[in-house]
Amino acid sequence: MALKKIDIREGTKIEYSSKELLFLAKSGQPYRGSLYVKFTSLGETIDLISFKKYITSLRNKTLNAEDIAYAIYESIELVIQVNDLGVVVDLTARGGLQQRLNYGVEFSPIIKNNIFQV
Amino acid sequence: MKNREDELTSLGSSTTEYKYEYAPEFLETFENAHQTNDYWVTLNADEFSSLCPITNQPDFGTLIINYIPNVNMVESKSLKLYLFSFLNSGEFHEDVVNKIGKDLVKLMAPKYLEVVGLFYPRGNISIHPTYSYSNDEAKYKEIEKHRFINRNINPPRVG
Repeated sequence: MALKKIDIREGTKIEYSSKELLFLAKSGQPYRGSLYVKFTSLGETIDLISFKKYITSLRNKTLNAEDIAYAIYESIELVIQVNDLGVVVDLTARGGLQQRLNYGVEFSPIIKNNIFQV
Repeated sequence: MKNREDELTSLGSSTTEYKYEYAPEFLETFENAHQTNDYWVTLNADEFSSLCPITNQPDFGTLIINYIPNVNMVESKSLKLYLFSFLNSGEFHEDVVNKIGKDLVKLMAPKYLEVVGLFYPRGNISIHPTYSYSNDEAKYKEIEKHRFINRNINPPRVG
């Protein structure tokens, strides 16, 4: 699923988050996590509908869990020009272990209790 | 009392097969070792996901299964595989909670069982259906009635 871009004001700092990340690990086991993406726009960003469809498309993708942040980073970088792109993925525990994965610029995501919290 | 290792095939298996379409055949039981006393078992499944049967868009939610066992108890790895099998199944929230509840009743014949679904919001609305069942004994009928009447007095926020 290809991401699409839209034009916006240059210099806008954007942070996207989704609690609905799901993909398949090499074992075939579905992995759940939260996704956080942050960057400074150079005049464009991702169209939200295409971003939602892209995240949904990962449900059928098989990846090493450790590569999920890079895979998303690469998909964004292919489509839009931005500064300071960072991707953070918090995965739910497997075997008692939680993983936080980061690719690109490091940042501390804003974590909200529910999707309507402002 | 049966030997639990002889009862179970998923737990401890060196290979695990996942299915992404509704697969109730995954469910397995083991024998309750404490049948002379009633006790609650709660199973929380925070990673439940299925598809909207109309739009095919993914839905997410937490399932909470509370039950009072009789002779048979659901084995949790088999439950995990069963719940993951809904991944590509089209299910309305209200239907899937009832479907899971009925599958578990058929599997275990518990004294009492309820399934609560706390689904993430779609279109600004989150849906929280509850399925409940009791066997014919008056004690469990009373529990079902009490919990049905008092359900959702302090509703949680999910999303």
